[in-house]
Amino acid sequence: MDSVLKLDVQRIDMTYDDGGKSFTALSDVSFAVEKGLFVSILGPSGCGKSTILNLFAGLVSPTGGRILLDGEPISGAGLDRSVVFQHYSLFPWMSARRNVELAAKQAFPEKSSAEISGIASGFLEIVGLADFADKFPSELSGGMQQRVSIARALAMDSEVLLMDEPFGAIDTKNRVALQDLLLSLCERGAEKKTVVFVTHDIDEAILLSDKIIVMASGPGRVQAEISVGFKRPRDRVSLVKEEGYVSIRNRIVSLFYADIADKIGGGEVVI
Amino acid sequence: MPRFLRPADIAFAAAIAVTLFYPSAGGMLSGHAAGLLILVQAVFIVRRIFGKDREAVVASGDALFVVYVFLFSWELAAAKLNVLDSFLYPSPGVVVKTFIDEIPALLKGLLSSLRLLLGGYLLAVAVAVPAGLYFGYKRRLKLASKPFAKVLGPIPPLVYIPYAIAILPTFRAASIFIIFIGALWPIFINTMNGVSDVDKRVIDTAKTLKLNDRQMILWVILPGSVSSIMSGANIGLSFSFILLTSAEMIGGTSGMGWYVKYFSDFANYPKVIVGIVFIGIVVTIVTFFFDSLERYLLRWRK
Repeated sequence: MDSVLKLDVQRIDMTYDDGGKSFTALSDVSFAVEKGLFVSILGPSGCGKSTILNLFAGLVSPTGGRILLDGEPISGAGLDRSVVFQHYSLFPWMSARRNVELAAKQAFPEKSSAEISGIASGFLEIVGLADFADKFPSELSGGMQQRVSIARALAMDSEVLLMDEPFGAIDTKNRVALQDLLLSLCERGAEKKTVVFVTHDIDEAILLSDKIIVMASGPGRVQAEISVGFKRPRDRVSLVKEEGYVSIRNRIVSLFYADIADKIGGGEVVI
Repeated sequence: MPRFLRPADIAFAAAIAVTLFYPSAGGMLSGHAAGLLILVQAVFIVRRIFGKDREAVVASGDALFVVYVFLFSWELAAAKLNVLDSFLYPSPGVVVKTFIDEIPALLKGLLSSLRLLLGGYLLAVAVAVPAGLYFGYKRRLKLASKPFAKVLGPIPPLVYIPYAIAILPTFRAASIFIIFIGALWPIFINTMNGVSDVDKRVIDTAKTLKLNDRQMILWVILPGSVSSIMSGANIGLSFSFILLTSAEMIGGTSGMGWYVKYFSDFANYPKVIVGIVFIGIVVTIVTFFFDSLERYLLRWRK
């Protein structure tokens, strides 16, 4: 496994000032994301996992500690990192094609509009939306909108792909389709992208990841780092039969619910 | 009641019957009134045959019912029973005939009015939208401009009219200035507020795409505030019409407002009514185009 660090989180704290009261979202969080790996940040709501993604995206800065990208501290957003959010990622006043073209043009300002248009068409085709390229986001379902967001992120051809619960609001059937799409996208191509994927879905994290950062809340902190070594290409049906799947899943479940049990008074939780 | 017979049809029949067959004093021009009724009913029938939206057709039928009852009562009171003084309350037929005769004069007035209206209004849009976008985007400018908007915005621009006429060299310049001031504040304030209503998550996305200030304002802030800008522009347009006609009535020598004021001074009430109806028609047409523009600009919304 390549062990070059793409993102290095060094003892970060994140405190918000909320009308005189301060709120600690992250406390002493450290972990690393190796180049080319698919890393999930898994945790219950309120554990600061989305905050970490916003820090990676350069939308906010930590109040303590530092985050290195390729060895340099992150300062602001950059076209070397593309982001897929859960909601409202697309510009609603632009067609699917325009949304993708805009991102491609930002990433490749030197390319002609014909080339940009070709890139957009290509990625919309890959995510299965060639026939919907000229629709506005409001005319697309939630799942289709996320496909456009993925096409947009891919069109930028950035080294790092940041995804913040991208399938969180999608119904089960479409979520499975999108997970499979993402799985196949991550496994093609010579130079693999580094992906940071925020989720609260344990099975989704195991299916997609090489490494899972399990977080706990109040304040947000890293609880465990778990390597997921199943061979690729993976598929969801045979994966659950792999040796070790159940033990990884059980370990995450117990971490997850131990945290919740702490929150409600330390007693036993019957699941 | 059968589907093809609506309340509007019955009211139409009553109105046309009383107009045509009830004897009236001379000079009431009931034929012109009947012509108007038939024209309106013909448009309604065409709409009923070709209209796709049944609910809208029913609604326009209900509205026409009120119109017919009004025309029926007016005709009966002014032209037939003579309970209204025909000098102060001309009959519908007289108003229709006057309207037709006055079309050239009305169009001339319209042209004169539109020159002032468009001059002042478009100038206000051209200043208020870019300024509102930029001030809304730069928080410090926004906060600095708030007190001005709060104090100057609510002053009814009508009160500027006499002073503006006094200090500006021509009536034309004074009117354009007043319309400009009147339309400026609602458009500016709404645009500025629209900027803060743009979804923060959309702005975050724009930041991750590294849009520069110009791209951010043109591609994200402007389209994101269109809804708010258009409601400000709509208020500004209503103000513009009020200010335009008021200015013309106070100091004008032409235009739609002047027309109404001029003939009031001569107690020519048929022309006064014609002038008022004409202004109503013009405002309706302008509003129609404005609404179409708004729908087009917001076509991406569900």
